[in-house]
Amino acid sequence: MSLCSLRRHFFKHLSYTSTFFTHRIHHINSNICLPSRFSPPSSAITEARAQWRHSSITAMFSTSSSATPTTCSFASPYLSVHIRCRKDVADVLSEALLCFGASSTSMDEEDSYEPDDEVYITSIFSDCQDVDECISHAADSIGLKEMPTYEVMMGNQSDWIKKTQESFHPVEVTEGLWIVPEWRTPPDPQATNIILNPGLAFGTGEHPTTKLCLLLLHGLIKGGELFLDYGTGSGILAIAALKFGAALSVGFDVDPQAITSACQNASLNNIGPEQMQLHLVPSKSIPPFTDEMKCVGVEGKNSYGDAGGISETEKYDVVIANILLNPLLDLAEHIVSCAKPGAAVGVSGIISEQLPHIIERYSPFLEGISVSKIDDWACVSGTKKRNITGS
Amino acid sequence: MASLKEILTRRPVAATIRLTVPAGGARPAPPVGPALGQYRLNLMAFCKDFNARTQKYKPDTPMAVTITAFKDNTFEFTVKSPSVTWYLKKAAGIESGSSRPGHVVASTLTLKHIYEIAKEDG
Repeated sequence: MSLCSLRRHFFKHLSYTSTFFTHRIHHINSNICLPSRFSPPSSAITEARAQWRHSSITAMFSTSSSATPTTCSFASPYLSVHIRCRKDVADVLSEALLCFGASSTSMDEEDSYEPDDEVYITSIFSDCQDVDECISHAADSIGLKEMPTYEVMMGNQSDWIKKTQESFHPVEVTEGLWIVPEWRTPPDPQATNIILNPGLAFGTGEHPTTKLCLLLLHGLIKGGELFLDYGTGSGILAIAALKFGAALSVGFDVDPQAITSACQNASLNNIGPEQMQLHLVPSKSIPPFTDEMKCVGVEGKNSYGDAGGISETEKYDVVIANILLNPLLDLAEHIVSCAKPGAAVGVSGIISEQLPHIIERYSPFLEGISVSKIDDWACVSGTKKRNITGS
Repeated sequence: MASLKEILTRRPVAATIRLTVPAGGARPAPPVGPALGQYRLNLMAFCKDFNARTQKYKPDTPMAVTITAFKDNTFEFTVKSPSVTWYLKKAAGIESGSSRPGHVVASTLTLKHIYEIAKEDG
């Protein structure tokens, strides 16, 4: 696919933000033990980003697996192992495999199995693990007398990525508004069609929270607004706002993958950098280094949002943050500070049981709070109070 | 015991998937990607759902997830707090269990540790 060349093409347009990104990441690098091979010239950024992302993933998993893969990269193949065992020990064996280093196990369901029958467990391991040792330990730990027979196959990341992409279909969010995957034709060429290739970022249009936010945006944008998509993911809300008539969309995200996806999607919809700007912002929540993070180039609450010197305070007519409960609680002041007084602020990515926390946290800043829901998901919106004490 | 209605409306199960995912940290990448992708499950939906529902746990705590994939590509999942093994390793302050269980002792735990783990695990 020509995605790679597309990405590189877009980096030329965003040379400003690329510099911002490397500067910020370099700061983080010096405080956290990430592999120091991260020093990107712009052509190596995509590969370096992949490595950076992967190191945070391995850092998360080093406490839960007995093998610590340090040299595997995100793009490397994985091992798919078919293990034969008896049905009645399959469940226990699956759990044991996870304890001893398997990334995941799965078992197909057939109705006609007797307990004595043999079944297959498909277990996925990362490329550099000792499969034999893991299976042997797992079998030992549940008291199996014999080592189960197994077969190892190589799997490619592209296998599951392709399958996932195949499951995207055009979605009509509301009358006249469609989200269409890049590789399908819009069912209604006259409608407002947002073309998407979400890649590995959030926001395909199918999720209830995306729909809630799109509906909210649809009602708020009258034409000419400045919109902030806080946690932009695939860029879907930023793009939608422009299609509805906003003058400028800005997207923040902590995930480099998201910025990449959003860039691509902007170009798929013929949106140029003068209409849509994307910024990678440092993540506050990389445990357990949160305290050190606060010291790295961040003086106070307002400067957290200073994207390379640009003040984001009180700049936007509409701000939407479709993320998760914890960042919404932590970053409430910052999210609201980006909005002009009287501007609309919407937050989502929360489930119904989390609503009281959000409403309590945002009540000091917002008035006219209303809640919309689809299934168990909710979106809270209001307008920023004109006189906020201590904001 | 399932009610008659439940039995009649039960969707055919395609597979049971187990994996460990850090609380609040599910991404459409390994290990979630390959495990769910092979059954064409909606990765984004799982990640968003899982992350939202595990906000109450300490970030990055490895959660044991069991996913039931149905033949129509929909799914349900349950999340369990970390396996006992994880707690034990954490309490003992070690990265991995003994490489030779029964022969080499990796670390020692006091009775107090066990009590604390039992309390937290519920």
